[in-house]
Amino acid sequence: MSAETALEIREISKEFELSGGRKLVAVEGAGFTVERNSICVLLGPSGCGKSTILRMIAGLETPSGGEIVIGGRRVEGPGRDRGMVFQAYTSFDWLTVRKNVEFGMQINGVPAAERRERAERFINLVGLGKFAEAYPSQLSGGMRQRVAIARTLANDPEVLLMDEPFGALDAETRWLMQELMIDVAEKTNTTMVIVTHDLEEAIFLADKIVFLSSHPGRVKEVIVPEFKQGARIADKERAVKLDGYSDLEAHLMRLMREEGRGKE
Amino acid sequence: MSARPTPFLQLRKPVSRRQKLLSALAIWVLFFGIWIVASASGLVNPLLVPAPQQVFATTFDLFFSRGFGSDVLISISRVLIAFALASAVAVPLGVMMGSFPAIEAFFAPFVSAWRYLPAPSFIPILLMWFGTGEAPKLALLFLGVIFFLITLIMDHTKNVREELVETALTLGAPRHKVVARVIFPAVLPDIVTAMRQMLAMTWTYLVIAEIVASTTGIGAMMMRARRFLNTDEILSGIVVIGVLGLLFDLTFSALHRWAFPYLRKA
Ligand SMILES: Nc1ncnc2c1ncn2[C@@H]1O[C@H](COP(=O)(O)OP(=O)(O)OP(=O)(O)O)[C@@H](O)[C@H]1O
Ligand SMILES: [Mg+2]
Repeated sequence: MSAETALEIREISKEFELSGGRKLVAVEGAGFTVERNSICVLLGPSGCGKSTILRMIAGLETPSGGEIVIGGRRVEGPGRDRGMVFQAYTSFDWLTVRKNVEFGMQINGVPAAERRERAERFINLVGLGKFAEAYPSQLSGGMRQRVAIARTLANDPEVLLMDEPFGALDAETRWLMQELMIDVAEKTNTTMVIVTHDLEEAIFLADKIVFLSSHPGRVKEVIVPEFKQGARIADKERAVKLDGYSDLEAHLMRLMREEGRGKE
Repeated sequence: MSARPTPFLQLRKPVSRRQKLLSALAIWVLFFGIWIVASASGLVNPLLVPAPQQVFATTFDLFFSRGFGSDVLISISRVLIAFALASAVAVPLGVMMGSFPAIEAFFAPFVSAWRYLPAPSFIPILLMWFGTGEAPKLALLFLGVIFFLITLIMDHTKNVREELVETALTLGAPRHKVVARVIFPAVLPDIVTAMRQMLAMTWTYLVIAEIVASTTGIGAMMMRARRFLNTDEILSGIVVIGVLGLLFDLTFSALHRWAFPYLRKA
């Protein structure tokens, strides 16, 4: 893993105007960097501003202060360089799996032959080869989320943003999807920013964990899971057994507790 | 253990296909049964309520020897032309209003005000403006449905999930492609449903237009029949209007099933 920076979040803040003219500071001066080809996990208690930060990176919200820089350019709105996978299903129901995956490329004028080839590759990568001609309504929740991942990756973003992408899935499917993401990261060298409030998910996926405190959201601690010794672990069961896993989990639990208490 | 008999009225349990068909048949058999018995027994004045057999014989006669077919065609074409015109305006406008709040802010105050004006109140002025040709009838049907259609389509468009729009944006789609490639296809099944509902309303206005101000069409035929006390012909007209409305509705629902196969679960 090189230490080249893919994404820089420079002291961003976000204020929301509430009804009645009151203001809510959701994020205040949050800053961190994401290295190229790494997986960065944003972790923190509910309401701490994780989604807001991710949406600002995606360009779907404008920061009230600070700036976000990707590949030397300042983020000024959504663009294909930052693909996003949402927690809710976002499959385009009127298109087959293949057409869903081709969608971004078609919008961006990728020639048909290349489109087909890339779609094929990413559909297979997420294990949906047999369902290329199926409609999303015929798929399970986990499969639909794979369609969304393949669709975003096929569009060749510089950064893949995911907001609790597996939150709606059952535990077993969630593990499978987490292992799939490790596999995808290894095979495609994609930089990822993943939001979660699931400790296990964070530890398993992260090359770096950015822990946020709540109200307002600030970076409380940046944690590199040292026990992985710089390598990713493809197998969830093995990860749990490694020395240092439970220490990290305990540490994160304590952080969560502290933040939880701080809210009351 | 003795099996408890299942009660006939089960709370919110779906009935079988067979029971559904039989029940549907039963209510109509009952309806015509009462009608036939009432006519045959002389309970009702045959001048005001002719027997059903006679109504059907008259319908047949109207179509095959008295050129009623051309009246029916005129009525159908009025509905279709006015409805096509209304849709041609309402679909693009409704989708744009539902997609861009700035467009909604401009048109919505106008559109929602017109919705509270019953279209038939325009009949006298439409007759003055357009005379007695096809124009006033088409205008009435158009005015009768367009504002409802726009509002329905706008509301459906607003209900297209934000995540779909945001997904398209983060895939790099410019605004016009988000509308054309995501919002429009996402709302299309609901648009067709809205059109189906509004087509039924167009029929209602058609009958009003033809009864009040027309010499051709199904409604006009019925008004002529009234002058000669031909109740059987009036009832024929009602039957034909009902059957046509039903056919249009079935066509639209078939269109819906055919055009949106992806809405069916495998
Ligand atoms: N559009 C908005 N308008 C007003 N307030 C908002 C808006 N979006 C988020 N907030 C507020 O900002 C804060 C952070 O919200 P955010 O959704 O980013 O939290 P989160 O960390 O993603 O929470 P969760 O884990 O529950 O998803 C919350 O207090 C929320 O109420
Ligand atoms: Mg969130």
